[in-house]
Amino acid sequence: MGYESVVAPRSRQGRKRPRALPEPRRPRPALARAGLVAAGAGLGAVTALAITAETGAELRAPGGAATFLGSLTGLVGTYLALLMVLLVSRIPAIERVLGQDGLLRWHRRLAPWPISLLLAHALFITIGYAQAARAGLWHQVGVMLTRYPDVLIATVGLGIMAGIGVVSLRAIRRRLRRETWWLIHLYMYLALALSFAHVLALGPSFVGHPLTRIVWSVAWAGTAGLVLCYRFGLPVVRSMRHRLAVAEVRQEGPGVVSVICTGRNLDKLPITGGQFFFWRFLTRSMWWQAHPYTLSALPQPPYLRLTVKAVGDHSAAVARLRPGTRVAVEGPYGAFTKYAQQRPQALLVAAGIGVTALRSLLEDMPRNAAPVVLLRGTRPEDLVLHKEVADLVRYRRGRLHDLVGTREQVVLDERSLPRLVPDLHRRDIYVCGPESFVTTIVDLAARLGVPAEAVHHEAYAL
Amino acid sequence: MRRAGWYLITGAVAGFAGVLGLHIGGTAAPAALGQPVRGETGTPPALAGGSAPGTTPPATPAGATGPARSAAGAVEPYGYGQLSVTVTVRGDRIVAVSVPVLRTVDPYSQQLAQQVIPMLRSEVLAAHSAQIHGVSGATYTSEAYAQSIQSALDKLHSR
Repeated sequence: MGYESVVAPRSRQGRKRPRALPEPRRPRPALARAGLVAAGAGLGAVTALAITAETGAELRAPGGAATFLGSLTGLVGTYLALLMVLLVSRIPAIERVLGQDGLLRWHRRLAPWPISLLLAHALFITIGYAQAARAGLWHQVGVMLTRYPDVLIATVGLGIMAGIGVVSLRAIRRRLRRETWWLIHLYMYLALALSFAHVLALGPSFVGHPLTRIVWSVAWAGTAGLVLCYRFGLPVVRSMRHRLAVAEVRQEGPGVVSVICTGRNLDKLPITGGQFFFWRFLTRSMWWQAHPYTLSALPQPPYLRLTVKAVGDHSAAVARLRPGTRVAVEGPYGAFTKYAQQRPQALLVAAGIGVTALRSLLEDMPRNAAPVVLLRGTRPEDLVLHKEVADLVRYRRGRLHDLVGTREQVVLDERSLPRLVPDLHRRDIYVCGPESFVTTIVDLAARLGVPAEAVHHEAYAL
Repeated sequence: MRRAGWYLITGAVAGFAGVLGLHIGGTAAPAALGQPVRGETGTPPALAGGSAPGTTPPATPAGATGPARSAAGAVEPYGYGQLSVTVTVRGDRIVAVSVPVLRTVDPYSQQLAQQVIPMLRSEVLAAHSAQIHGVSGATYTSEAYAQSIQSALDKLHSR
């Protein structure tokens, strides 16, 4: 026996999922909004802490202003660093609403702030204490490193953070391998751990203020706990519980393979169509990397399928996987699902290997969804999984358009798209594929007046 | 997310106001400092004139009657060390103050504390309470001193 992609018309199942599959967990936007309010509250609280740390007399004393700025930058910088850690801790409730790509975008946007603020913190505090002690700046640096409790390790932590900041500058990052850069920036966990102690030992908001000490410690412990639980713990537990292994590797098209995996208890894995996993194939050369690949079909216990195009080292190695290879997974992640849909109907646009997310999304749609699907490819054989998509579109009572040809032959612009899809204003747009393609379509949708909340995209970058 | 900014700002205002409110409520406690009395340079005028503090034997203030009772205040940590103050009370007047415990993290703080503690002692004896103004340039030391005195006074009142 083997895996057969079951594309059923769902006439007998109606709107309900087959009983073998679990109900996926709905994203709850209210939770994300509450999270936003909490994040803002923390920022406001930390700023107020800094402002109330010094009295008027202390501010007017020598070094008072610099020490105040040092407190402010230190508190806000550390808080933002904790927020950044929380953003990538893959808390399921948040991830379901914002999506892994949305969280990463915010993580990257925030990134320069904590590092800059904390560097400024070190500078201001040193200047302030030097002025208060009426000592020279360099002498004060020496004093602080040698005599103040926990400042030396905190400075080591700051050095690590500064190093990560430097390595992440575009000019330098471009020269590094992605895995190297990523391993370096993981040291941020260590840097934060090293700098924890000196805050409670020396910070004027904390010395002698038990409530503030407790709240700060609980915040740190909570963040660490969430990271351990959701970033590391949950994926390990899931991988062990479901025991995925490669069953078969099938050719789907030029450079494109489907990997069919078997697993136990797949009926307990809550997957929504369009979601992806980070896949860690446990072979000698690939075990230390986890790459994101979308499921190209809803799970059919005991089978899971992913379809991968060879564009880099890792994806090329996927084609050479041997049956029986064990797989560890992190996920399911992604907000590119039917739950993101706001308008009654959908337009699905995919280019190349982007069809994988689209194919799962289609399978997850209700019977009379009537989607319009645009498949874009340079040659006909580039439209992988075409038969499955065509069948699904037919069963969902939709329309499929194959747009095959080069970029000069096939033009998608403000005139051709409305002609293909006259009722564009009643449809959410889901677009998936290479980054340049996704950007083009998203911009096109904006120019055509489609509001940003109705456009959902998943870009596959190298 | 739409209107993400509004949620963040609402939260920020709430958090800010909350901490500010808690802080203002908290500082209605003893050892309220913050009124600048000395000059900005930190040179205490008390040293300029008058007798050398710390060497004058305390004259018994008027109204101090009854047995002398002493209590040691809590060891108060502050950014640069820890200190504790022992208070002797006769009746309801503070008659003597001494510092049995003084540990600082660096020599400058030690020097500063030794300069400042006699001035603080005079302030406490003059005010007959822990409500002192403190010494500019040694605010953390002054706060710790005042808090330790207050805890000693609390112990005496509760006896």
